[in-house]
Amino acid sequence: MSVDTTTSAGSDGAPDSLGTDADAEALVAVFRRVLENPAAGVDSDFFLLGGDSLIATRVLSAIARGHGVELSFEDFLLAPTPRGLAGKIAAAR
Amino acid sequence: MSAQESAPGPAGGRPVASAVVVGAGLAGLTAASGLTAHGIEVTVLEARDRVGGRTHGLQVAPGSWVDAGAAYLGDRHTHLHALLAELGLKTTPTTMLGASRFALGGVHATRDGRFPPLNAVALGDLFEQLAELTAAVVPEAPWLTPDAERLDALTAADWADRQLTHPDARLFFPLFLGEMMAADPADVSVLHMAFYLRSGGGLRYLNAFEGGAQQDRVAGGAHQVCERLADRLGTRVRLGEPVLAVHQDAHGVTVRSARGEHRADVAVLALPPLPADAVEQHPAPPVRRAGGRTARGCAVKVHLVHPAPVWRDHGLSGWSVNAEGPLLSTVDDSPAEGGAGVLTGFVTGAEAHRFAALTPERQRAAAAEQAARLFPMLPEPVGLHITDWVNEEYSQGCYAALFGPGDWLRHGPTLTAPHRRVHWAGTETSTEFFGLMEGAIRSGHRVVAEILART
Repeated sequence: MSVDTTTSAGSDGAPDSLGTDADAEALVAVFRRVLENPAAGVDSDFFLLGGDSLIATRVLSAIARGHGVELSFEDFLLAPTPRGLAGKIAAAR
Repeated sequence: MSAQESAPGPAGGRPVASAVVVGAGLAGLTAASGLTAHGIEVTVLEARDRVGGRTHGLQVAPGSWVDAGAAYLGDRHTHLHALLAELGLKTTPTTMLGASRFALGGVHATRDGRFPPLNAVALGDLFEQLAELTAAVVPEAPWLTPDAERLDALTAADWADRQLTHPDARLFFPLFLGEMMAADPADVSVLHMAFYLRSGGGLRYLNAFEGGAQQDRVAGGAHQVCERLADRLGTRVRLGEPVLAVHQDAHGVTVRSARGEHRADVAVLALPPLPADAVEQHPAPPVRRAGGRTARGCAVKVHLVHPAPVWRDHGLSGWSVNAEGPLLSTVDDSPAEGGAGVLTGFVTGAEAHRFAALTPERQRAAAAEQAARLFPMLPEPVGLHITDWVNEEYSQGCYAALFGPGDWLRHGPTLTAPHRRVHWAGTETSTEFFGLMEGAIRSGHRVVAEILART
């Protein structure tokens, strides 16, 4: 859990699949940090791993800092996996 | 500490044979039960005409009880669960199905789930910062936390002024702290805030109903725990006997109450810090239990009683969060056995002081009017109960005492250290689940171990 979750991926901003994969990997690290669960992967459902609305906002905060994109709580509910959120980030850019 | 460590035993190496326990809340009665089980002769002195301390039952309909004080528990509250099992008490899950109501900053909304209609990124920034503070705390010794001096000197209100920029975060922070720990941010140090959140299991656990610290209630009311413990202790528990003074000498303690004197080998003061300091002691303890900035936990509980939980028929859970008081949040606390629909309103933090200063008529009118705005489908409540813990003489606040600037550095190192023959219990002496029923019970167990170890 030593991955820096706040400054990686996404600064180039290109909504290509490579950027999306990098964003998804960065989000895996965020999921692991806020859920305190090293088992989270790119397709892990945040809520099935014990996440709730309070810590979901921490993911949104990390996305805003690390990727420069402000997603809403509803965006999160529609795509509560690292891969899904990476798609939302790409769409918002 | 050396004075306490070298304190003499009861009488030249003989084990403790008798104890006076002051306070018949969860901590005192847990301690008294444990001491009794080890053959120690125990007298429990309780100031009120009831046991329970900050747990208290209200009968809202025949056979239907709600908690006017401490109410909730989670799976991590293992000592409380064990005690419930021992006493033959069951738990019932808190109900949270349906939509929530929000009245925040002029926006009135009905939404699924508990998430407020505020900027999620701004709230996330707040929780990220709180999580960082919480993770840095040394939970068993908060005064040893890195940067403890600065964190202990700064109030949570000052911290919020500096750290929170978004208006939604500034709006939500005092509501959150009120709900979590019944604190006005101006009353607690940053160190105490971070410690409290950590001690209770962290932000997520302390905030959550399902899977968290509010997962269950005691079926029939949490007050039954103390009532059953007191029943087993029988005539050892003396009600209506407020303790005025504890004098100790080389051979024992003399506990003086309004009704007489009790002599024993040791005493246990199972009181919150502010009432504990009201007991005169000779010799005086080296450090008082409360400092100049130790404040009362700010909670007033309001129960609106209806014949049935009719909000559920309208798809509402009963949960609401409101920027304007007096009811900063409401929750469905209807007794599981039926008989009534009960909405519990929480008046916390600075709002609790304002509300507590009103006349009873104005309190009732303000609570009923707000409930009618939040849940317009509700008829007039058939009952309305207000429990003001802020002004309870023998609790002086609820959920727990609020440690203000300076408190942890000054009091922390001697939080549990016996003052010669006087031992300390109470949820404020437990670094695990501080402020909760679980913390009170753990403190009672700790005191039993301390006393058994004396020779």
